[in-house]
Amino acid sequence: MNKTLRLIHTMLKMQYSMAGKSTGEKLGYLFLLLFLVPFAFIFISLMNSIVATLYQQLAPTGNENALLGLLFVGITFILFFVSLSSILSSFYFAEDIEGFIPYPFHPYQLLAGKAAAPFISLYLTSGVLMVPILTLFGIHSGASFIYYLYAFILFIIFPVVPFTVVAIILMFFMRYANIAKNKDRTKVFAGLLSFVFIIGFNIIIRLNQDPGQTAEGAAALIQEQNGLLDLITGMVPTAYFSTMALNYARELSGLLFLLLMLAISTGAVLLFLLAGQKLYFKGILGLTAGSRKTFDPHKVTRKIKHQPVVAAMIKKELRIIFRTPTFFMQCVVQSLFAPVFLIVILLFESSSSSFSMLGTMLGQFQGKTSLLLLFVFSLFILGVNPASYSSISRDGRNWPANLYLPVHPEAVIFSKAATAWLINLLSILLLAIIGIAVLNMPPGLFALWVGLTLLASWFTSLVGTALDLNQPKLHWTDEQEVFKSRLISLFALLIEMGAFGFIVIIIWNIDAVEGLWMTALLLALLLAGAIAISHVVLKRLIRTHYHNTI
Amino acid sequence: MISINHVTKEFAGKTAVKNLDLVIPDGKIFGFLGPNGAGKSTTIKMITGILPIDNGTITVNGFDITREPMKAKKIFGYVPDSPDVFLRLKGIEYLNFIGDVYDLPRDIREEKIDYLTKSFGIYEALDDYIQTYSHGMRQKTVISGVLLHDPDVWILDEPLSGLDPKSSYTLKEMMREHAAKGNTVFFSTHVLEVVEQLCDEVAIINSGQLQFRGNMKEMKEQFEADENLERVFLELTNNE
Ligand SMILES: Nc1ncnc2c1ncn2[C@@H]1O[C@H](COP(=O)(O)OP(=O)(O)OP(=O)(O)O)[C@@H](O)[C@H]1O
Ligand SMILES: [Mg+2]
Repeated sequence: MNKTLRLIHTMLKMQYSMAGKSTGEKLGYLFLLLFLVPFAFIFISLMNSIVATLYQQLAPTGNENALLGLLFVGITFILFFVSLSSILSSFYFAEDIEGFIPYPFHPYQLLAGKAAAPFISLYLTSGVLMVPILTLFGIHSGASFIYYLYAFILFIIFPVVPFTVVAIILMFFMRYANIAKNKDRTKVFAGLLSFVFIIGFNIIIRLNQDPGQTAEGAAALIQEQNGLLDLITGMVPTAYFSTMALNYARELSGLLFLLLMLAISTGAVLLFLLAGQKLYFKGILGLTAGSRKTFDPHKVTRKIKHQPVVAAMIKKELRIIFRTPTFFMQCVVQSLFAPVFLIVILLFESSSSSFSMLGTMLGQFQGKTSLLLLFVFSLFILGVNPASYSSISRDGRNWPANLYLPVHPEAVIFSKAATAWLINLLSILLLAIIGIAVLNMPPGLFALWVGLTLLASWFTSLVGTALDLNQPKLHWTDEQEVFKSRLISLFALLIEMGAFGFIVIIIWNIDAVEGLWMTALLLALLLAGAIAISHVVLKRLIRTHYHNTI
Repeated sequence: MISINHVTKEFAGKTAVKNLDLVIPDGKIFGFLGPNGAGKSTTIKMITGILPIDNGTITVNGFDITREPMKAKKIFGYVPDSPDVFLRLKGIEYLNFIGDVYDLPRDIREEKIDYLTKSFGIYEALDDYIQTYSHGMRQKTVISGVLLHDPDVWILDEPLSGLDPKSSYTLKEMMREHAAKGNTVFFSTHVLEVVEQLCDEVAIINSGQLQFRGNMKEMKEQFEADENLERVFLELTNNE
């Protein structure tokens, strides 16, 4: 046991260590935490009003336990989802397992170590909802001490079953499915799957929005006691048992339900360890990167061609982004997320014809208003460009090559910024398609909007690159570290929001600026100014930081 | 010619290289020896511009690496201690990238890639990702990249580690030829047999300080009783 704990500790330390973080970054986390305190209050009071309202409505018919059922079922589904991503990343994408296998650990010890990180995510997730809601429910129902004790025990054991179910399904899938043969493809596949899942989920919710029907069904069910609870928890037995344990906390049956939950969870742990030993190690050790094909000398000679250094650098950056699953997901897929989401929504709403009118409406607005609105909207959709603020860090241990190869530092850095800009082009293209095809924008407005968005995108590419050059994370062992647990995206957001907000507010408030063309001109000038400043800053950073990053 | 003038480098209060003064002449194979952590890689990284120099200067064929980095970098080729570079590129893409960086004409590039990769036996792997290469294949890819642009000064950090006997022989022959043409070959190693076969001159460094510099004969003479290089090395690097 001691050894297992030691192993868990080591594995967690490698993932969450604050070592190597500057004091500035640590302070940043502190501020982020302080920043969250008011939100926590708002969140809890919101929860309180929801729990209070539902309790008062359900209690007269004896259906108040449906609230608990709803909580446990909801949590189960959320935990499924969190398990899916955290188990994939801990069990299959983290590279550390190969380092531990040669040591004399039992397979179950390694599995326990690997499960630790997903469980932290699970407890954090369920804690946010379970702790306040269960406490509030207890207060409103005037529950006894035993209720709180049971609630605490359930909080501890509840994530076990969703975790085990997802883990076993995943391990089975990875062991026998063909995609698991190629690690890179699996990563991209899993990422795209969750992307499709979220969008599909949204579509289903949109299709099912028929409020009248739902209310009728609920009313009919509330007629009988526990009817609602049965309906809600019908598919999730553990949610039913947990609800019953809390509901009858004062009676013996409550204890029995709690013991049942404990037994199920213990069984789940054993099942996980057993199945894991059978499935996990065979699945993970079969994973390989890349594939072999027959050799063709002509293909090789065709790849030999002369091009300018900057073109070669950009090509290299793009290749690495598109070929590294993590970079591809973070830099390309995630930044396409918002525009694709927008298209899906627009396609589903287009029947209601409100959106097809939007274009004509925009035309009727004053030119200034519509351009500024569109500009802010597209900035919002584009967000911070992850390809920009990972420019330097992506290189990792390859970074020294930039130092010993005879390439001018400015050529290196500006080709990285250009790469980020090129990747953003994909999102801008999607936005442009929406503008022309869905919204029927007037051509003049459209052209100005796209042009200004392209300028703004160069600014964000420069800001992100500068921030990364200022404090790059080069000593990573897993590509995830370039994006995870860094505050850089927050800084990028603050700077970019500040700059764009300033520019838009200035133009908005100058009454002398009127009409489409004048607004566009002023916007372009101010953007050019912002770009000029960021060029100067970036060049200064190159002088001070480029050779001092290691 | 590489000239290292009173160079010092510190890491977080610890001195990795201390007042190192060393000239690596043309036309000779120059071995750089020392135990693990002696400061060999650190010195080489300062010569190549990877690490900033705290104190002192370094010139490569007269060009100061800090003040005229572009000119200096065009003259040397460097094989790093770890060959794990650009794993997501294919071998051929890496070599073509190096060709673009050094602005090599296409025909020369094609001819040299063909010659180098065939003599190292990695030609058939060129269309695969470097990630799928073995350690030695990666090493040979990097070496091919360095030799591609035909630099005057070769700076190699443990270039023979991980090479099979045939590739090792090929590289050693290439080093001899290059030095015979009057160029500079500077490499670090732990393998004393290699030093004995290959080096014209050696420098031994320990705890960041130069312990010895001279040719093989002088080195043995200094310790007249020893004919065994291993013993000499152990004595020279003995801290007590
Ligand atoms: N980035 C770094 N940060 C802190 N200390 C470093 C760093 N790089 C090297 N050192 C220290 O500098 C000293 C010299 O290291 P160096 O890599 O030059 O040794 P070496 O002679 O190449 O050894 P080896 O034979 O193992 O390759 C060592 O004590 C090492 O711990
Ligand atoms: Mg070394």
